[in-house]
Amino acid sequence: MMRPTWIPAIACSLALFGGTGVVASQTRSEAVDPEAELIVAMPDDTQNMDPRLGMGSVRSTYIRQVFESLVDTDAQGRPVPGLALSWKQVGDAAWEFALRPGVRFHNGEAFNADTVLFNLDRMFKKNLDKWGIKDVPTAGFDRTYPFVTRWEKVDDLTVRVHTSEPAPTLWDFIGREPMVPKDYTIKSGIDGLNERPVGTGPWRLVEWKRKDSMRFERWDGYWGTRPQVGRLRLQVIPEAASRIAALKAGQVAIIDAVPPLDASVLARDPSVRVASSPQKLLCRLYLNGRPKEAFDSGGRDGLFADARVRQALAMAVNQDAIVKKVLHGYAQVNASPVASVSYGFAAQEPYPYDPKRAQALLAEAGWRDTNGDGVVDKGGEALALQLLFPIKHYGQAFDETTPAMAEMLKGIGIRVDIKPVDFGTLLQTVTKGTLPWNGGFTACRTSNNLDADDYVRDWAAVTLINWVPYPPELLDLYRATRRELDAKKRLALLADLQRRVRDWTPVVPLFQETKVYALSPRVVGFAALSELHMDFRGVALRK
Amino acid sequence: MTFAARAARRLGRDGPALAGLAVILATSLVAMAAPALAPTDPVRNDLLARLTPPMWVAGGNRAHPLGTDTLGRDVLSRLLYGARVSILVGLAAVGMAGAVGVVLGLVAGYYRGWLDDALMRLGDIHLAFPVLLLGVALLSVLGASLANLILVLAISGWVTYARIVRGETLSLTEREFVAAARALGAGDRHVLWRHILPNVWPPIIVVATFSVARMIIAEASLSFLGLGIPPPAPSWGAMLDEGRNYITTGWWLALFPGVAILVLVLGINLVGDWLRDLLDPRLERGL
Amino acid sequence: MRRFLLRRLLHALIVVWGVVTVVFFLVRLTGDPSAFLVDQSATREEVAAVRAQLGLDRPLLVQYFEFLAAVPRGDFGISIRERRPAMAMVLGHFWPATVELAAAAILLSTALAIPLGIVSATHKDRAPDHASRLASLLLQSMPSFWLGLMLILFFAVQLGGLLPAYGSGTLRHLILPAVALAAAPLAQNVRLIRAGMLEVLQQDYVRTARAKGAPERLVLYRHALRNAALPFITVTGLSLGFMLSGTIIIETVFSWPGLGRLLVQAVPGRDFPVIQAGVFLFAVIFVAVNLVVDLLYAVVDPRVRLS
Repeated sequence: MMRPTWIPAIACSLALFGGTGVVASQTRSEAVDPEAELIVAMPDDTQNMDPRLGMGSVRSTYIRQVFESLVDTDAQGRPVPGLALSWKQVGDAAWEFALRPGVRFHNGEAFNADTVLFNLDRMFKKNLDKWGIKDVPTAGFDRTYPFVTRWEKVDDLTVRVHTSEPAPTLWDFIGREPMVPKDYTIKSGIDGLNERPVGTGPWRLVEWKRKDSMRFERWDGYWGTRPQVGRLRLQVIPEAASRIAALKAGQVAIIDAVPPLDASVLARDPSVRVASSPQKLLCRLYLNGRPKEAFDSGGRDGLFADARVRQALAMAVNQDAIVKKVLHGYAQVNASPVASVSYGFAAQEPYPYDPKRAQALLAEAGWRDTNGDGVVDKGGEALALQLLFPIKHYGQAFDETTPAMAEMLKGIGIRVDIKPVDFGTLLQTVTKGTLPWNGGFTACRTSNNLDADDYVRDWAAVTLINWVPYPPELLDLYRATRRELDAKKRLALLADLQRRVRDWTPVVPLFQETKVYALSPRVVGFAALSELHMDFRGVALRK
Repeated sequence: MTFAARAARRLGRDGPALAGLAVILATSLVAMAAPALAPTDPVRNDLLARLTPPMWVAGGNRAHPLGTDTLGRDVLSRLLYGARVSILVGLAAVGMAGAVGVVLGLVAGYYRGWLDDALMRLGDIHLAFPVLLLGVALLSVLGASLANLILVLAISGWVTYARIVRGETLSLTEREFVAAARALGAGDRHVLWRHILPNVWPPIIVVATFSVARMIIAEASLSFLGLGIPPPAPSWGAMLDEGRNYITTGWWLALFPGVAILVLVLGINLVGDWLRDLLDPRLERGL
Repeated sequence: MRRFLLRRLLHALIVVWGVVTVVFFLVRLTGDPSAFLVDQSATREEVAAVRAQLGLDRPLLVQYFEFLAAVPRGDFGISIRERRPAMAMVLGHFWPATVELAAAAILLSTALAIPLGIVSATHKDRAPDHASRLASLLLQSMPSFWLGLMLILFFAVQLGGLLPAYGSGTLRHLILPAVALAAAPLAQNVRLIRAGMLEVLQQDYVRTARAKGAPERLVLYRHALRNAALPFITVTGLSLGFMLSGTIIIETVFSWPGLGRLLVQAVPGRDFPVIQAGVFLFAVIFVAVNLVVDLLYAVVDPRVRLS
């Protein structure tokens, strides 16, 4: 058992790391209520708790209260020891994780090497029959990381993972995956895991009222910084205006997903505090530039296969205005394909907002307005973009950006037909490859990993979001980053790749969103993370 | 007293209905004259002028009398053009639903038998299906567009007409004048068109009037669920939905389209009330 | 009577079968949920594997007959997104949340409609009549989500949290959503009461009661209202379906954890078992209420049985 006296010190150090708007815990001496209930207003519920069903941004906040991963992060998103105390490469083709001793799941089950092996089996869909579990139908790691060959227990607290080629980012893609208990999962099945999740995290789930709230109690057997409130409730309030109303009325202490304009208003409100952090959410315009022989998408080459056309589009979109006006500064322009808070990010020169140059680039690619109708054409065909627009999925700012961007593209002579679709329809269109040859869509790319690799991998295989595959020289460069074990050399390769991807412009970047929370002044020690989830360890409520 | 004189007399006594009629006429005029009245192009963006408040509020200006929206588009212009969409959606959806419903109702009520049974069960199945959910599912199949929206609203509405017309037709076919027409050798088509249809109009007109109001509201509800008219076309429902996240910071965005819907729909409902009193014989008896 | 009953039951069965058939094919037209179960960077093969695992690659008719065979057992399969039995999920959201909300709204709109309707009838074509009709029509003439937001803005924000803007469980939580949901049917109810009262007030027994010097209030509420109530009760029963449909919007605005919100998320999420179970429940309730209303009518008015 840890001595409670040093807990506030940890809380303090966590808070001081914070980005903008972090509430520093200078209030250590002030009276906090150790048994209080912290109520957090969320925009949505999670539908299940099994980490293997995906780790989207809202889900992560639910899942990571209960489950933890080998690699934890600090407020800046830097890797710190979690369930693993350390990790290192062993030779060219293996990684070793040294596990934290003495960790127990909420039901008393021990966390050890067997737990990790079981989780690896689930991730890579191996030995599932042996464990007698009928696993959920999701995509496995086996296809994304086929070079991971086997895993073994070195001793009770050491696990080694072998690969068929050098894998510099293995610590990340395996280390960030939340660990579920082995015996409990085998005994209760995946459904038990979903219904009554049992993890090693700081919070123990006590009640889950679907679409309404999830209640937690502090887990007193937690190995790390224990929460300074006794209870936590994640309350679902879908309407942003209602979340803000609930905060102002004192019914909740923290609200998630504050819209940008409200954030700028609340920032001036003395009765509320705003905490924000850049996050790994890159919103972009994806364009069909697939060659017809590589993918079966309609028998025609994608209309946007020519990099000059895509560059022209990038120059026609006033990203600065979008960030300043639509997102009220709660976003940034990022011309790199990698989020600014990812490991290996190298800042790239933004695309200039220059409609004249954009038109010149189009002309260079053969697109000119020959018939005077205001739309450029080539060989008798107008440059028309069928834009699928996943409405009501990414939030109000995104829903405003898409039509604003469409108007900007019209400015350089491109015809844009906006087709609002629900997110599921967009997903199906891209999975079935039925995006029209002149199609495109706006969407945001997030990442559950710390390393840049997750972002630059996008254009290397036929995936849902790869609509402009790497040309051979970029594919070679990407593969080189994938194999380089020397950290410094790898960073240089990644920087080079980002620069060349920026010039090649597979997508038109729109903005990288900043996540915004608003807090009651009673909340102490809460920091907005650059990761997807919210972390309430060390958070206290004043009396 | 002629029907027209009776209608006018009742209208004269019914102040609210008179006001409702005035609202409908004014909105229609405004919708027709939108290009002449609108200060700017309703789809033109101007991010620099984003969220300009109405001109009587500090920070507002005369160029945008009712302010601008989240993309700097002129709210007044969008309201004026939006009236066209609302009226078009309401009339077209009701027209389609009415035409289909009336024909099916006539056929079912006149020929009876298995056809009647089948159509009425189909109507029951339809009514037992949550309307909004049907709209959501159909629109995700068809894709959101003005035409599809009208189609979906029309599909959701035909049963009411079919039921009423069937009921009326059933009782009309028992009446002497229909029997007389038949005895004189009139064909089915002639009886249906000349003798029955003219007599089912009154309740249809009443229901159709209220339906136009309901369709305008339904358009807004579908926008709220993300299935409205594709941007950047202006519609009151879409404007209301876009403004709902700004009710505390940009109140004019949700207020003006909300009031516009309220006033027009209220006007239509008031006229519907008047028509009901006028055309529903049951109430006439009660006078 | 028995033949009538049997025929009505048969009709009810046909309707429920029709509804589940329509929903089965309709949801499959919207695609399938496999794309939700994979990562953004998933490959086409991964998606195909997920589809096969869900059994969605089998012939449509095979899936349909399996589905039909399971419906009588109440087995609608496992929710694809939540991994729980779909019918249990649907019932869990329906009871108590949606029932509570719908019942409160029906009660509220009835309680308001009676005095408004009576005032309208007794002051026909005079100012109180116009005012009461205008007031009820006003509430019917706005989109319910807008009314909901305005209520939140006023009671939860302007008045500093007088009433909660979200959540469920207590009476205070119920007030705003119930008001927003009750608004739309109010005008119809007022109109029905008004029409019923107008007719009844002309009847001899009401005149007799008045002539005998019974107090006006007694005449109105005891003699007249009771007789005007029958068509009103019928329509209230029938408008239950309308009410349940309205919860789809109101539950979203007020974060009410009911069936409407479950369904409105299940459709874009392509959670077929949940949509099918929810629509089935909806249809069964609708059909049952209609059956009861029909039977009541048949008892009251034997001529109905002949039609």
